[in-house]
Amino acid sequence: MTVNNTIAHQRLILSGDRERFKELLRRRLIECGWRDQIRMVCREIVKEHDSNSITLDMLVARVTPRARALVPDPVKKELLQKIKTHLLTQKNL
Amino acid sequence: MNTIVSELSMNDLNSKFFDIIQNESTAEDAANFIFDSVCEDVTLGVLFEVHHGIKTGLTELLEGEKEDEEPYKIVNSPECDVFGFSILKKTPDANCSCPNCDRPVSATRFAPHLEKCMGMGRNSSRIASRRIASNSREPTSYAGLPSDDEDDVDWSGTLHSERRKRRMKNNKRNSKIHNGIRSNNGNHNPDSNDGATYETMSANEKKNLLLQICGVVSEHTKKLCTRSTRCPQHTEEQRRALRNSVLEPSTPESQSMGLTAEDAGSPPDSSPSSSCSSSSRKRDRHRAVPKMKNKREKLSPLNGRD
Repeated sequence: MTVNNTIAHQRLILSGDRERFKELLRRRLIECGWRDQIRMVCREIVKEHDSNSITLDMLVARVTPRARALVPDPVKKELLQKIKTHLLTQKNL
Repeated sequence: MNTIVSELSMNDLNSKFFDIIQNESTAEDAANFIFDSVCEDVTLGVLFEVHHGIKTGLTELLEGEKEDEEPYKIVNSPECDVFGFSILKKTPDANCSCPNCDRPVSATRFAPHLEKCMGMGRNSSRIASRRIASNSREPTSYAGLPSDDEDDVDWSGTLHSERRKRRMKNNKRNSKIHNGIRSNNGNHNPDSNDGATYETMSANEKKNLLLQICGVVSEHTKKLCTRSTRCPQHTEEQRRALRNSVLEPSTPESQSMGLTAEDAGSPPDSSPSSSCSSSSRKRDRHRAVPKMKNKREKLSPLNGRD
């Protein structure tokens, strides 16, 4: 299964459409305030620690799960729909 | 299908991709996978931004609220005020004891106290010498106590409170005179001596009065000028003429009385216009003041001080 997924992913990257989706998702998330939420989460983590001892890995490890959960459902649904239709349209070529 | 050959050609990839897409569920799966990966990428992008901001100090600059809370905290300890300064800090050195009278004096008032207590300084030496003189003259009123507390503002004894009250009154009046509010036409006070003319006074009274004030009779109001003997409104000649005319018939010493107080101590044979050195004048004044003081106190409350 993962191989299938990577194949699709790979193709998407090759066609350059992944960048398109990524840009779209980024814009959507900024629009809905997700990015600011993530920044607040980061600030909390920074407050807990000394700002010198903070590493990017630590931030990624602690923020990513919450970031995934914080993505609003409509955005997620829209993206999934768009990716799926994009994949399916390839079938008809 | 399950193995991917490393040198996968574009054609192989395409064909496998089309295989996957044919199935709805695998396509859905692939879409989910792609979304996750994209989402992760976006998150990572934001985290890069944040991390960059933290490490370069950019976020601190932008937010600038990190050290805001500390200085404004209210300190809540019994020994300090709300700013965290000690309350006790002031008290230890607040009191000095006066070497002259052994009384505790607050440090801020110490210099003025010494000035009064030891009789140094401009006004105080006069006051002190006067006090000493009156002390020797009227011992009953002081009950034999050392009288050095008379002018101490920071002394809160009750022994001489009545006396002090009286003095305060005198001071008030005197200050009015010094300020020029009560000039020669303002003496409507019935108990004030200066409203009267020289005819109603005895020779001694006249003499004492003229030692303290200018005394020139105003042309308009017919009242005496209550300013000091050096008042700028009247000339030396006017004063001398007045003293001559007022004191001449009564006392033989009028000649010397014709001079102002400063010149009173100069030898009688010297001409009135002869100038003494300032130091000798000062000395003379000191000698003259205590003599005046006792009479002055009896004479009028107005002249309690100069």
